Amino acid sequence: MDQVINPLALYGACALGAIGVLLALPRRDGKNPQILGAVIASLAGGIVLLAMGLKAGGLFGVGYSPSVYFYVFALMALGASLRVITHPRPVYAALYFVLSILATAGLFLILSAEFMAFALVIVYAGAILITYLFVIMLATQAPTEDLENALTEYDTAAREPVIATASGFVLLAVLTTLMFRGVGELPKAPTINGQSLLAEMPRKIEAALLASGKLPTGAKVTFNSDGDAKVDFEKRTVEIKTADGQLQAVELPADLSVTNTEMVGFNLLRDHPGSIEIAGVILLMAMLGAVVLSRKQVQLDEDAKERHAKLLSAEFTQGAETNP
Amino acid sequence: MLTSDSLLTLGAATAAKAPIIAGDPLALLIPAMPILGVIICTLCGIFGVRNKLPAFATVLCLAVSFAVTAKLFMGHDGGVSIATGFEWMSLAWGEGQGQRLVADFSLYLDSLTILWMLFVTGLATLIALYASEYMSHDVGLGYCRFFAAFNLFVFSMACLVMGDNMLLLFLGWEGVGLCSYLLIGYFYKKPSAVAAAKKAFIMNRIGDVGLILGVMLTFVHFGSIEYREIFAACQPYIDLAKAGKFNEIPAIVQLIPILLAVGAFGKSAQLPLYVWLPDAMEGPTPVSALIHAATMVTAGVYLVARTYPLFLLSEYALPIVAWTGALTALVAATIGMAQFDIKRIMAYSTVSQLGYMFAGLGVLTSTGAAFHVVTHAFFKALLFLSCGAIMHGFAGQLDLRKLSGVGFMKGWGVVGLGMFVGCMNLAGFPFTAGYFSKDMILAEAFVTPGMAPIGWILLLTAGMTAYYTFRVFFRVVVGPMHYEPGDELHHAEDDSHGHGHGHHDAPAADAAHASDAAHGHSHTHDDHAHHEHGHGAHFHPHAPGWAINTVLATLSVLSIAAAGLYFVKSPYAGGHAHGGAVPGMVERSSAAFETPFSHHGAGGAGGESHDTIKEGGHEGADGKAPTHAAAGAPSFVPTAIAKAHGAEAHAGSFFGYDPHKAMYYVSGVVGFVGIFIAFILHYAGRRTAATARADALLPAVGPLAGWAQNKWYVDEFYDFLIRKPLWFFSNVFYIFDKLVIDGLVRLVGGIPRFIGAMVRPTQSGELHGYAAGMAAGVAVLLFLVFILTMR
Amino acid sequence: MIETVTLAQAGFPAAMHQITLAHYLFISGAMFMLGLIGFLTRRNLIITFLCTELMFQAAGLALVAFSRFHMNMTGQSFVIFIVTVAAAEAAMALALVVLLFRKRESLDAAEWQEMKG
Repeated sequence: MDQVINPLALYGACALGAIGVLLALPRRDGKNPQILGAVIASLAGGIVLLAMGLKAGGLFGVGYSPSVYFYVFALMALGASLRVITHPRPVYAALYFVLSILATAGLFLILSAEFMAFALVIVYAGAILITYLFVIMLATQAPTEDLENALTEYDTAAREPVIATASGFVLLAVLTTLMFRGVGELPKAPTINGQSLLAEMPRKIEAALLASGKLPTGAKVTFNSDGDAKVDFEKRTVEIKTADGQLQAVELPADLSVTNTEMVGFNLLRDHPGSIEIAGVILLMAMLGAVVLSRKQVQLDEDAKERHAKLLSAEFTQGAETNP
Repeated sequence: MLTSDSLLTLGAATAAKAPIIAGDPLALLIPAMPILGVIICTLCGIFGVRNKLPAFATVLCLAVSFAVTAKLFMGHDGGVSIATGFEWMSLAWGEGQGQRLVADFSLYLDSLTILWMLFVTGLATLIALYASEYMSHDVGLGYCRFFAAFNLFVFSMACLVMGDNMLLLFLGWEGVGLCSYLLIGYFYKKPSAVAAAKKAFIMNRIGDVGLILGVMLTFVHFGSIEYREIFAACQPYIDLAKAGKFNEIPAIVQLIPILLAVGAFGKSAQLPLYVWLPDAMEGPTPVSALIHAATMVTAGVYLVARTYPLFLLSEYALPIVAWTGALTALVAATIGMAQFDIKRIMAYSTVSQLGYMFAGLGVLTSTGAAFHVVTHAFFKALLFLSCGAIMHGFAGQLDLRKLSGVGFMKGWGVVGLGMFVGCMNLAGFPFTAGYFSKDMILAEAFVTPGMAPIGWILLLTAGMTAYYTFRVFFRVVVGPMHYEPGDELHHAEDDSHGHGHGHHDAPAADAAHASDAAHGHSHTHDDHAHHEHGHGAHFHPHAPGWAINTVLATLSVLSIAAAGLYFVKSPYAGGHAHGGAVPGMVERSSAAFETPFSHHGAGGAGGESHDTIKEGGHEGADGKAPTHAAAGAPSFVPTAIAKAHGAEAHAGSFFGYDPHKAMYYVSGVVGFVGIFIAFILHYAGRRTAATARADALLPAVGPLAGWAQNKWYVDEFYDFLIRKPLWFFSNVFYIFDKLVIDGLVRLVGGIPRFIGAMVRPTQSGELHGYAAGMAAGVAVLLFLVFILTMR
Repeated sequence: MIETVTLAQAGFPAAMHQITLAHYLFISGAMFMLGLIGFLTRRNLIITFLCTELMFQAAGLALVAFSRFHMNMTGQSFVIFIVTVAAAEAAMALALVVLLFRKRESLDAAEWQEMKG
């Protein structure tokens, strides 16, 4: 782990971060130096990232570098997360969570996982968090007149912050230590040539050729028995069949490549079809469960029942009188 | 010396050669009918039948059983056949000998079985008829319960007697024990009845330990528990025993009969284990008559007779049986002489007579013992039923000082007659059945070498028997008419009249009261003599009805007729036995001396020797007793016994006369003497029920009478010897158990409890607590990984 | 000594050579830890569930980083499943929260301790 970060820096930063988070957590008396704590915690996170950046070979020497975005997004994500757990008002916590999601989506983009980034924003920030906000609104006690901005007791008082923080940071220290030590002699993953998926998409090749005007009219991309286009990746050519039945190799357009979404789609639908079905069932069940659970259960006591019965009988007699 | 393995193979070879003769499957009806009776009685109980249906169903079922037995007897040729019912138990854990346990529900039909079943089913039928009236005060659920147990008893007895293997015998053995328990405790609201039932059960279990060990050893050694295979397998040993080479017979084989004898002693109430039988009289009288006098208690005799070949293999088994029997006969007779409860006297006389039977078995007259079993079954049942009729009629009164002249009362003639016939038989009055059967045993005791002391003891006992029997007769049946009701069964009646008279509410079997009288106190009821009629005006003894009278009359006739068996020839051709039909039947079974018990076993049968003696005696050739083994091949048994006692084999003599002949006169005279003494002491000149001339003798015998009255303090002795130490050690171990064992258990149980108490606070039910635990666990786990993978 | 395999060594574009897998894992771990601390310390049920969502985020980040590292799309596919589970969990949890709030008029997790041992 010496290659990644100085252990001293890591553990020191962990301890510092623990103190920071501890200070940042809400207290009942409201006298907690939350801002100081947040600063200390951010400092600790910064120290770690800095130390790692130094080890990795310079932080500032590069002009336009995505690494800068990494640091920005990372600090944003961690800072927003810290606010999620420290802000005494649930609404703000939820909004900070949205920020944290956005930052994570940025990190995903850096990792060239565009599909996941946007899926995250749409699903999490767009759907789940809105639901959270609804529930927060629903399940909040009506403010009383004298204490309009009063916070509930359970929002302001952290529960056993010392033990929780300590165990959390010990966990982080151990976790990072193990992570940075690496997993030993990991078998080198076979480098997937993402472009090989092109052969599976003859229509896409055809459309690209058509757009670039390389495809003669009436010509088609040929398939083999699997339905794959006959692509020669070394020469970047594809075999086509002209209108008169002649086979010929055509060069692929330079901008033709497989996108991240296509890769994820192929992986998802070709390699994990069963999992998708199961995920669908889980969602359906969750929907049913949520409907059943949150249904308003009206429990009538005896008086209420009597009242209802009288009401009903009155309506009935009225109806009988009006419709003899 | 032969090894046991080679013997087993020999036995197997013999067994394989002997074909199984299939018996009449009709025999299966004998145990089946009582089971049908059980079912009927149970259904009656379930449907709440409140009439005498269970009784008459029982009588009918048992009568069918008896008829089937009689049919078997008629068609029996003296051989052995086996009626196979169904496969009951068939276990095999290997191919070899002794690795297979077969116990089918099969009936072993030979003359011994048939003899036993004849009187068991016959008496059971009669007694069921008797009980239909006797138990009529209890019609309803109790009635059904009584007859269900009664039927179950007959079924168990049939299994015991007819089973072709020792396991079926054991089933029946335990079954009769159970029924005995159920029926003794019939009046389960009476503490004394419950105690008596428990006592009988536990005493029997002690004997059963011996029996079950004997059965197990039999299986272990002979590899089978089926009689025919055992008998075949023990043949080589019998040859050894014949040659007197007892030391070549394995000790284990010699142990088997002794263990079996222990079982027999328990069931038949012999000396160390007899105390349960007198207490068993707490049961209803028909039960006492059937189970505790006529049939079940003879199961021990049957066991010894059935396994007689095994008993011949040990030099000590038969002498033990003989001495136990003789001493039991003597002790029980002495106790019987001093009792006042007539039913209890009959109980002691039963113990005593059972002692006779065992002595008979021990002195090598299994024929005589069996004959005595048969005659005793009839006359003792008769006596008990007569006593029961009195008890029934006089509201539970059994004290012979409070009853007198019953035989002369109106409607009691049959009872008096029954008592008379029974007493004559029991006393051994000449030319009664009891006289002949007793003589056979007495004579044989003098014939068998080394057994003369037993003969003398038995002779003394015979005199005592005659005395106490007629003591009952002279006090209860004849003499001035007097009665006082008991208070057992007719409380309402007794209460309404008893107090009006200022009459003492004496319990029927008032031991304390009786004890006072025995010590010569002036009897509290002396001034009640005028109550002879006073009571009559208020308490009316109800004379027995038709059922009881019919049964008593039938049994009287049968008891008298049993004497005729002595003169009837053996029902089978070629019989040699002296003594008539019953010995003739026994001779064909395994109970004969000469085993294998083949009826065509030429010459060597002990029975033939006797025959010779008898004829020799009649001829009176030289006035000298002819040698016992005069005819035929040398008989094994006298040799064996002689070896056991280190004496020369010789025929016994009674003062130089042939015992068989002499006994006719001697025992007759002894019986007369006993009866005469009873007449003098208890009849002549007696004016009231309570006083008799015998009371004047009390100072002369000193404390002996009191001791005998208190049963020689045997119960107290057992209490001191067994119960008290048991109690003491139970308490000690109870404390040990409480402190040490329980303490350990509680300690072990307390550890998890303690840990739980320590850990319980972590289960706060709070969501965060669990989450924190999870996180801490992950941290620890990761830390461990970190430590372990450190390089 | 263990060679730490960096993203650059695994054939990442040159422009990203400075950022290693370890960076992402650290961010992921720190986020997870913050979610955990929040879960442990906050008593508001809704915040508690928000914190679990935070932990889901951290796991998703790690998965995407590994997916990139190994050039294996399965990692990204599983993030989809994580999102699925998170959505289902959110639906159920929020339904429960609403239910519980109706019963006690409070979102305090400490109110519910019926399973106390």
